[in-house]
Amino acid sequence: MMRSLRARLLVGTMCGMALMLLIFSLIVHAVIHRTLFSQYDASLASTARMLAASVELDGGEVELEFDVQQMPEFVRRDRPTYYEIWRSDGTVVARSPRLGTNDLLRLEASLNSPVFATTRARSGLPLRVASLKFIPRISDSDDEQQPQLSKEHALTLAVARDASDLVGQHRVLRWLLLVVSAVVITLSFLVAAVIVGQGLRPLNLIATEIGGITEQDLSTRIGDAYIPGEIMPIRNRLNDLLSRLEAAFKRERRFTADVAHELRTPLAGIRSTIEVALARHRETDEYRSVLSECLAIAHDMQTMVNNLLMLARLDAQQISFYTEQIQLAELVNSCWQPFSGRALDRRLTFENRIDAEIACQSDRQNLSTVLSNVLDNAIEYANEAGQIWTTACRKDDSVEMAVSNTGCQLTTEQTSHVFDSFWRGDSSRKDAGVHCGLGLALAERIMRGLGGSVCAEVQPGGIFTVRLILPNVEESRSIQ
Amino acid sequence: MRLLVIEDYRPLQQSLTKGLREAGFAVDTTRDGQEGLWYATGNEYDVIILDLMLPGMDGLEILKKIRTQGQKSHVLILTAKDTVRDRVTGLDLGADDYLVKPFAFEELLARVRALLRRSYRQKNPQIEIKDLRIDLTTQRVWRGSQEITLTPKEYALLEYLAMRAGHKVSRSDIWEHVYEFESSASSNVVDVYIGYLRKKLQRPGKPQLIHTVRGRGYVLGPEA
Repeated sequence: MMRSLRARLLVGTMCGMALMLLIFSLIVHAVIHRTLFSQYDASLASTARMLAASVELDGGEVELEFDVQQMPEFVRRDRPTYYEIWRSDGTVVARSPRLGTNDLLRLEASLNSPVFATTRARSGLPLRVASLKFIPRISDSDDEQQPQLSKEHALTLAVARDASDLVGQHRVLRWLLLVVSAVVITLSFLVAAVIVGQGLRPLNLIATEIGGITEQDLSTRIGDAYIPGEIMPIRNRLNDLLSRLEAAFKRERRFTADVAHELRTPLAGIRSTIEVALARHRETDEYRSVLSECLAIAHDMQTMVNNLLMLARLDAQQISFYTEQIQLAELVNSCWQPFSGRALDRRLTFENRIDAEIACQSDRQNLSTVLSNVLDNAIEYANEAGQIWTTACRKDDSVEMAVSNTGCQLTTEQTSHVFDSFWRGDSSRKDAGVHCGLGLALAERIMRGLGGSVCAEVQPGGIFTVRLILPNVEESRSIQ
Repeated sequence: MRLLVIEDYRPLQQSLTKGLREAGFAVDTTRDGQEGLWYATGNEYDVIILDLMLPGMDGLEILKKIRTQGQKSHVLILTAKDTVRDRVTGLDLGADDYLVKPFAFEELLARVRALLRRSYRQKNPQIEIKDLRIDLTTQRVWRGSQEITLTPKEYALLEYLAMRAGHKVSRSDIWEHVYEFESSASSNVVDVYIGYLRKKLQRPGKPQLIHTVRGRGYVLGPEA
């Protein structure tokens, strides 16, 4: 329930402190109490024993020696010692004259061992009472003939003495312990508050620093000047997270800017084509050519928007794949079909070198999107009258398909960017606006979605090769 | 007035060229950066319309090279890059204007006209030489209160002479600023057109406006 670390630490420390103080006080109290009362009780007990020894049974009568009755402690005026003796049936045998008709507290005691209690006299003064059960002597008889008296003859004796100073000391002790405990608790609360505050300072500072980070300044990192070792891992993790966030945000912003940029160019094309056409009256054929020009641009834009949408869906994992057995050679041929015209225009030769037996389990539609994009790229960037060829081979648990073309002018460093969105190798591309650098990015994302991977390389002689690695090979079914 | 359009997106390049030619400009055009630089440094263009992301050579690179070679052509950057940083970079590298795609064609035309006025120190879009009046915006010409109808080529020639009114203008200047690189015309065409123009501007009882400076060219207005 307690959300604050500070409150938790403070409450925990204080509870522990209070518990320890309580135990300590109880021990101190018990020890001092015992010491105080044991002296007092020893003196009371000896008086009681002495009194018991002076009681004789004469026939049925109980007698108390007179000189004992006259002992100074029984007769003194200030703080006298009272006594009272009862038979086992409760009748009073004797009591000190100073008691008058008052009774002392009669405690149930076992034979010959005194019990103690603190009580209050009628005057309100505290009395410490020692009670003793004993069997009286029989008067004037020889020791040898001493008949054993039975328990019915046992008498109970109580000796009491004013214990106000003892009780007073006891009370002072209790108050002292209470006050000291309270003071210690208060002081330790203050000290603990300061220590906890100091201890939590780095956390607060980090919290403030993190609180200050907005989407705009993700480049800030949490400093390590004041960070204790325990929080270091948190700081490091947070900084890692910030780095990744920053990179993601940058990527996102660049992507959005690239999208805007790539859409603006064809829009500018449409707009200025139409505006120029409308500037004066023209022949029908001219309007017709303007319209078909705009339609072509719209087609290109649609392709780009579809690619973007596909990328977004792949990222959001909203695309489902249906696997089936695919004959790769046949798939390549069907993907090449739409491009053959364009290849002819550029006098490119195409060769499908894939063995008809090689097949794999994959999603036909998405795999053909990948292949179309890779082939499209090859046609776009192959040299005039160059070559394009496809190969495939079976590995342990994968099938590797490769699309190669001649005439590549990319460096190895540039090749590492070919799968980045909107990246275009700066070659003399002829159709700006049509190829906006999404094809290979999309191919890479789809391949990942299919559980495979894709890579590109440049070999000496300007041969550019895109390798598609597909997982999950089923034994190919021979056509024969 | 002669313009160079360096733009790699084919539909835009075509419509720009067409629109600018129809507006009376002589337009050379290319879609490649390297080629664009070659055009820009080899000829004296009045305005260069420059895209930034180009194959062959980046637009800013072309701009830098043009400026370090001391070319005085006015450069208008036409690009999809719209951030303040991009604009500032472009202008600071020596561009004279910056227009973001997509744009209104009319605005592009107006900006080109403004750049032309600037390069000939002509603030007023109406040029008046004696009783000859030329409206640069609507491309209409009057002598006194009478409007004169000119063909686009004739107008382009007159406009160039008017922009440099009072100064000697050589045949090769006219050739450079009024005719396109790929035009099939030869330089005698200049003399032929000057002849047409003189005839159209001629009004009985009014003095001749275009004077021949022997062996050197022509002057519009009072002889320098």
